[in-house]
Amino acid sequence: MIITKKKDFQELMENIKGYKSFFLIGCSECASLCGTGSQEAIDALTEALKAEGKEVTGGFVAKTGCQVLGTKTELKPFKEQLDKSECILIMSCGAGTQAATEIFEDKPVYPTNDSLFLGNMTRFQMFDERCSLCGKCILDKTGGICPLTACPKGILNGPCGGCKDGKCEVSPDIKCAWVRIYERMKRLDKLQELCDNALEAKDWSASIKPRTLVARPHKEEKKK
Amino acid sequence: MSFKDALNSGKFVVTAEVGPPKGTDIKEMIHHIELLKGKVDALNVTDNQSAVMRICSMAVCKIALEHGVEPILQMTCRDRNRIGLQSDLLGASILGIKNVLCMTGDHVLAGDHKQAKPVYDVESVQLLRIVDSLNNGKDMAGNELKGATDFFQGAVVTPEANPIEPQLIKFEKKVRAGAKFFQTQAIYDINKFKEFMSYARKFPVKILAGIVVLKSAGMANFINNNVPGIRVPQELIDELKAAGKEKALDTGLNIAARHIRQLKQENICDGVHIMAIGMEDKVPIIMERAGLI
Ligand code: SF4
Ligand code: SF4
Repeated sequence: MIITKKKDFQELMENIKGYKSFFLIGCSECASLCGTGSQEAIDALTEALKAEGKEVTGGFVAKTGCQVLGTKTELKPFKEQLDKSECILIMSCGAGTQAATEIFEDKPVYPTNDSLFLGNMTRFQMFDERCSLCGKCILDKTGGICPLTACPKGILNGPCGGCKDGKCEVSPDIKCAWVRIYERMKRLDKLQELCDNALEAKDWSASIKPRTLVARPHKEEKKK
Repeated sequence: MSFKDALNSGKFVVTAEVGPPKGTDIKEMIHHIELLKGKVDALNVTDNQSAVMRICSMAVCKIALEHGVEPILQMTCRDRNRIGLQSDLLGASILGIKNVLCMTGDHVLAGDHKQAKPVYDVESVQLLRIVDSLNNGKDMAGNELKGATDFFQGAVVTPEANPIEPQLIKFEKKVRAGAKFFQTQAIYDINKFKEFMSYARKFPVKILAGIVVLKSAGMANFINNNVPGIRVPQELIDELKAAGKEKALDTGLNIAARHIRQLKQENICDGVHIMAIGMEDKVPIIMERAGLI
């Protein structure tokens, strides 16, 4: 899921200082789990905006905020409130914000959140970054632990000299990714594999932005 | 005799290092280079060590050459992608720089430009392979070069890392990637180092033991608490303490000299790499006391 956190409120107020009335859109997926786009978050922001003398015409939690067509359809019943709003506030990740940018051609759309990373929820509202979406997964070679993400240097062939007592040179709070990989490969009895197969430099061409993907079969194929 | 030839001849080789200054005033640095001229077999030039921005290693290597000292170009992967690294290596080659030490490099968070974007497009093992490939007339992408390089490439190893196994796996990868020599992290426990050497001797590479002068018992304690992969034994700390404030540095120099003497006499490794860290003027003293000059 995409991990988001609330923007600093003063920063948000500065961004939207030119507008008076707002419609708030949350997202029931990642942003809700992060507590940044749920109904409670909408209610809280509504109160805070009112306290600043702003008007809130309404709000709703989109099913999947980054789904452009679906969100557009879900917004239909809110036409009146939307017409009365000078500005739309999106309480999702940056993808949701840009879905709204596409939907509202003539209205300013502002994000209320900062988008951080693709994360795993390890406990309620505790998130870890495990994958950097590099475009060509190497987890098959590293015992299922991603050194590109778990190691601050993204080293592919073993720990750097900064590893101290199994901890990372960047922070003693992080276990060295390569010690974790070593331990896992040892448990799986695959140390020889780890030693023999030095990984080649990463092919970054698979992560050149922006990326697009058409995952559905072509119409012609479907007809057949 | 070149550094490579010296190592291959079986001579007990000595390298030291010079840290490029931060700024364009290089008077003191040149003084240090002159001081070591004719005494060491080669001089490492650090590459923005600890991720602190300084004069680039290549320029200082060139200056060392002009002053008659053979340089070892240290190269980290932190600040350049594969194009920049290869381009710099070709540049170093035409400047007459023969030795390169391949390292991943400290993270930018350790340095004085914490907001920088760290690169790490490749890392030490892959950089060694790149050097090997340039030596064979091809760039990393397989393109033919008009003129190959002729580098003698090395890497670093931490014999006392904890845990040691992942580091040894990496050491072997470095050997297979083409490393010809290794300079180690500082070692203070010769017996422990011997254990590492009995493992390392299985590989066709030369090993230079890292020597860092202890200035005081305080410094030794600091190292033990903060620096990964280095362990100063208690008896050395006691020795420094017993020497008292006045004599501590002199004792530290004696310890370094004593260790070098033992490493050489017992033929434990192929040489030493003395890291004086701001005390370059003390290197000749250590060498004298170790009986090297
Ligand atoms: S290698 Fe790492 S960053 Fe790349 S896809 Fe796999 S988990 Fe994600
Ligand atoms: S200590 Fe381990 S995780 Fe940290 S930067 Fe070095 S190799 Fe990566």
